[in-house]
Amino acid sequence: MNLLAPLIAGVAAAIAVPSLLILYFLKLRRREVEISTTLLWKKAVLDMQANAPFQRLRRNILLILQLIILAAACLALGQPVLRDQKLKGNRHVILIDRSASMSTTDTGDKPASDAAKGQSRLDDAKDEAKKFVQRLREPSLLDVGSGDEAMVIAFDSTAEVRQQFTNNKALLAAAIDAITPSAGPTRVSEAFRLAKAYAPARLFVENQGFTGGEPATIHLWSDGRLPDQADAFTDKTDKVVYHAVGKPATGNLGIIGLRAERAYDDPNQLSVYVGLQNTYPSARAAEVEFSIDGRVVGAREVKRPAASAGNPIAAVPAAGAGAAPTAATQPISNASTGGAVFTLDRAEGAVVSVRLRKADDGADDAFAGDDEAKLIVPSGRRHAVAVVTSGNLFLSSALTGLPLAKLDTLSPAQFEAVIKSGTAGQYDVVVLDGWLPPVKPEEAAGGLPPGRYVVLGNVPTGQSTSANPSGSSGVRDLGKGPPAAVVDWAQDHPALRGVSLDPLVIAESRRVELLPGSPARVLASSDQGPIVLEVAVAQMRAIVVPFDIQQSNWPFDVSFVVFLASAVDYLGADSTAAVSRVIEPGSVLSDRLPSGARNVRIQGPDGVSSDLAAAPDGRIIYGPVRTTGIYSVSWQGTPGSNDDVKDGRAERKYSAVLLDPFESDVRTRETLNLAAAEVAADMSETTGDRSVWTWLVLAGLAIMMLEWFIYNRKVHV
Amino acid sequence: MLKTTNPTRPKGIEDLLDADLIARITPLDITSRKVFAGKLKGERRSKKRGQSVEFADHRPYVVGDDLRRIDWNIFGRLDRLFLKLFLEEEDLGLHIIIDASASSDCGEPNKFLFMQKAAMALGYVGLVNLNRVAATAMGAAAGGVVSAVRDLRGRRRTHDLSRFVCGVTPGGNFSFRDAAQRIALTRRGKGVMVVFSDFFFKDGYETGLRLLSGHGYDLFIVQVLSPQEDSPTLTGDLKLKDVEDGDTAEVTISAPLLKRYKQNLDAYRSQLAAFCAQREITYLSVRSDTPIDTLLLDYMRRRGVVQ
Repeated sequence: MNLLAPLIAGVAAAIAVPSLLILYFLKLRRREVEISTTLLWKKAVLDMQANAPFQRLRRNILLILQLIILAAACLALGQPVLRDQKLKGNRHVILIDRSASMSTTDTGDKPASDAAKGQSRLDDAKDEAKKFVQRLREPSLLDVGSGDEAMVIAFDSTAEVRQQFTNNKALLAAAIDAITPSAGPTRVSEAFRLAKAYAPARLFVENQGFTGGEPATIHLWSDGRLPDQADAFTDKTDKVVYHAVGKPATGNLGIIGLRAERAYDDPNQLSVYVGLQNTYPSARAAEVEFSIDGRVVGAREVKRPAASAGNPIAAVPAAGAGAAPTAATQPISNASTGGAVFTLDRAEGAVVSVRLRKADDGADDAFAGDDEAKLIVPSGRRHAVAVVTSGNLFLSSALTGLPLAKLDTLSPAQFEAVIKSGTAGQYDVVVLDGWLPPVKPEEAAGGLPPGRYVVLGNVPTGQSTSANPSGSSGVRDLGKGPPAAVVDWAQDHPALRGVSLDPLVIAESRRVELLPGSPARVLASSDQGPIVLEVAVAQMRAIVVPFDIQQSNWPFDVSFVVFLASAVDYLGADSTAAVSRVIEPGSVLSDRLPSGARNVRIQGPDGVSSDLAAAPDGRIIYGPVRTTGIYSVSWQGTPGSNDDVKDGRAERKYSAVLLDPFESDVRTRETLNLAAAEVAADMSETTGDRSVWTWLVLAGLAIMMLEWFIYNRKVHV
Repeated sequence: MLKTTNPTRPKGIEDLLDADLIARITPLDITSRKVFAGKLKGERRSKKRGQSVEFADHRPYVVGDDLRRIDWNIFGRLDRLFLKLFLEEEDLGLHIIIDASASSDCGEPNKFLFMQKAAMALGYVGLVNLNRVAATAMGAAAGGVVSAVRDLRGRRRTHDLSRFVCGVTPGGNFSFRDAAQRIALTRRGKGVMVVFSDFFFKDGYETGLRLLSGHGYDLFIVQVLSPQEDSPTLTGDLKLKDVEDGDTAEVTISAPLLKRYKQNLDAYRSQLAAFCAQREITYLSVRSDTPIDTLLLDYMRRRGVVQ
């Protein structure tokens, strides 16, 4: 037990106790009573008063009781608190996981009736966090700054501070109450970084020791499904308390992957892959219902075996064009995964929706967030390509074999005319052969006009100005160089996938250099420097091959055709932006509308519309997106090449979808492996400061009543 | 214990005796363990007619009784002590003494009123049985005797007795020793003497009782205590003042003090009882809330004052 105000208690005791003793010595003003005779009384009084006054005090139970009452009162003034050993620091950081898996409605050891009421893990965590806040140490009467302080951080894939450090419990409770569930995945490392950033730095100052306040205790309320927990760095002095919510045995059958692909040779043929994961300890069956634009077009029974140690996760199909961002796809021990494929003929774009119908009606499905997923499938339109060349036979013949919607071969003068007329937007990709279109510095994007380019035999450089910071491509042209041989290339890049550059011999290289902070990325390099680059600035994306391909053996190699086709496909697909049409819940919707878009409006899955202000170049930012579903952005102005037009407004749809095997695995983890330490779940009730002065006052009152009783017993025998 | 703030004073016989009490006590008669020869011929047979005394009754032995009157034959037969009672065959002197000091005018019910009623009832019993009845009030006066009445006999003198009893007003202090001496000197003949008092005399009761006992009188003393004296109800820090001599005692009432007081009171009573037993005086201690008929029909009859 600690005293918050020991000085007050001491002063009060020093005044009150002697006063009480003096009162006992004082002669009383006695009431005069006439009685028949004092004969017997005198004798009795003489017997009683045979001793000195101090001996009167010796056995006076009333005095002892009054001293106890005084002691209780003085102790209460000292504001005693009972502290639990677990609360070591004065500062507490409350981290509350609000990711998708926290919406699971299994609530620990609570009775099932609570779960029936829809009490989710997040509700549970909030309740516990509020209880914890109530137990924080109160500031003492005189020293207001002496109480415990806490801050509240809510996190899913991003972390945000909901309440700065304060000792105001009402503010903390309100901040905790205001946390709403999100459908996003979990990234705890940012929350830890945020917590560290707000905690005062702990510095060692010579002759003073550590300064900057007590190290904070980080309280984490989560179900432990933290894929990046190893990145959560803590200091040695930081104490992390992990309050696990949910049950480790909670299973779930959910969609963890959804991907649509068109056949390369027949863009009308659409294949939709659905990935499922089962974390139940028993085999589970479900009907996968597949619908296009809200109409059910197919259903398939999928059975997943039980999750077990001997059934490690199979690789979920890798993300590609039109696929969900399943970056977090990592092997999860014990989970059982698999999928289903739907194929159909459809050239137009569509909203593909997949819903799981559980065989048992989902009675024990505690997590509904991953039972449905929607995907925007772009139309099967092929790319329109312009080749700007002064006459390159290799180039034209290589491109004519590709399945393109349009292939125009233009001379530089013709292309300049196209730019001037403002109809360059009709081409998805422009292949520039040894020539760069002239561009004004204020309009340049990476040295080129906005658009998608494959640049061969030249290097766009451009100049960054304060008005146009993305004017430069970040590449410096150093002129022609000696013969070169390929050293390495990025085989996983879509433009170079399946391309072998080993046989490539360059007779005359062109040396380039990447400036610091360059938006360019080297895709392939030779002993003389980069030979394939990707430049991506705000409004321009280009694959740049600096050397003259006619001064190499590349045109004769099949890899050149594959590279060209892949590059055009990659840039073209990028321009139709199917990938960016999928938003991970918790992240920000960011896209570029055609320039000149105005009166932009976004409608969320809940039907609520809000206006957006588009930047001059058409860029819009919305979010962070917290719920899954279809978001549709509409605007007045020219539609993009792949946008729908509805009621005179261009419309573009985005799908926020949670496809995260980590979130779908809702089994609560009991241990966290943080970067610095392993933290076991603290399932026990958190106890904190308990003010005990009220009990002392009550005890004082009780003793006072006892004293009154004894006094009456004494005088009325 | 406390001085009665507004005591009720009896105005006449109707305040002292009610019809019901009269009906209950009329059959009683005064008895004595001693047999006396009266001066006048009464309703009784004289013992002088024969040598033997007419046997009346037996009653159980109580402490203080004369051992000479124990019926040893019955003791031999039953192994229990009984006293033989004899019919008084001559007129019997009954002398009632009440304590009219200030200390008597205390308590709730008032001790003096109780004494007045008891004296009147007893005197009535004596009068209706044609005994010679005398009454004396001890109080603050020269010689300790306030007033006295004597040689009353017969039912018609009841009012004389009641007038005397009602005329006494309690107050002041007196010396019991002086009063006893005065009474002992002035009394005549033989008979029964009953003294009503609280016997809280600061100068002691021993000499006075010694003077009153003997000389042909069978002495009964009735110590009248108020219920408050028996078990005090005082609380708090008090300055106790004696109503008779103004002596004060500062007390803080507490359980130990009350315990000590009761011990002292018990000791005082047992000392008085022991003193009386030694001198063939019958001692009786009553509380002022005792009904008069209980006093006469039970306590005094058991002790052989009346039968």
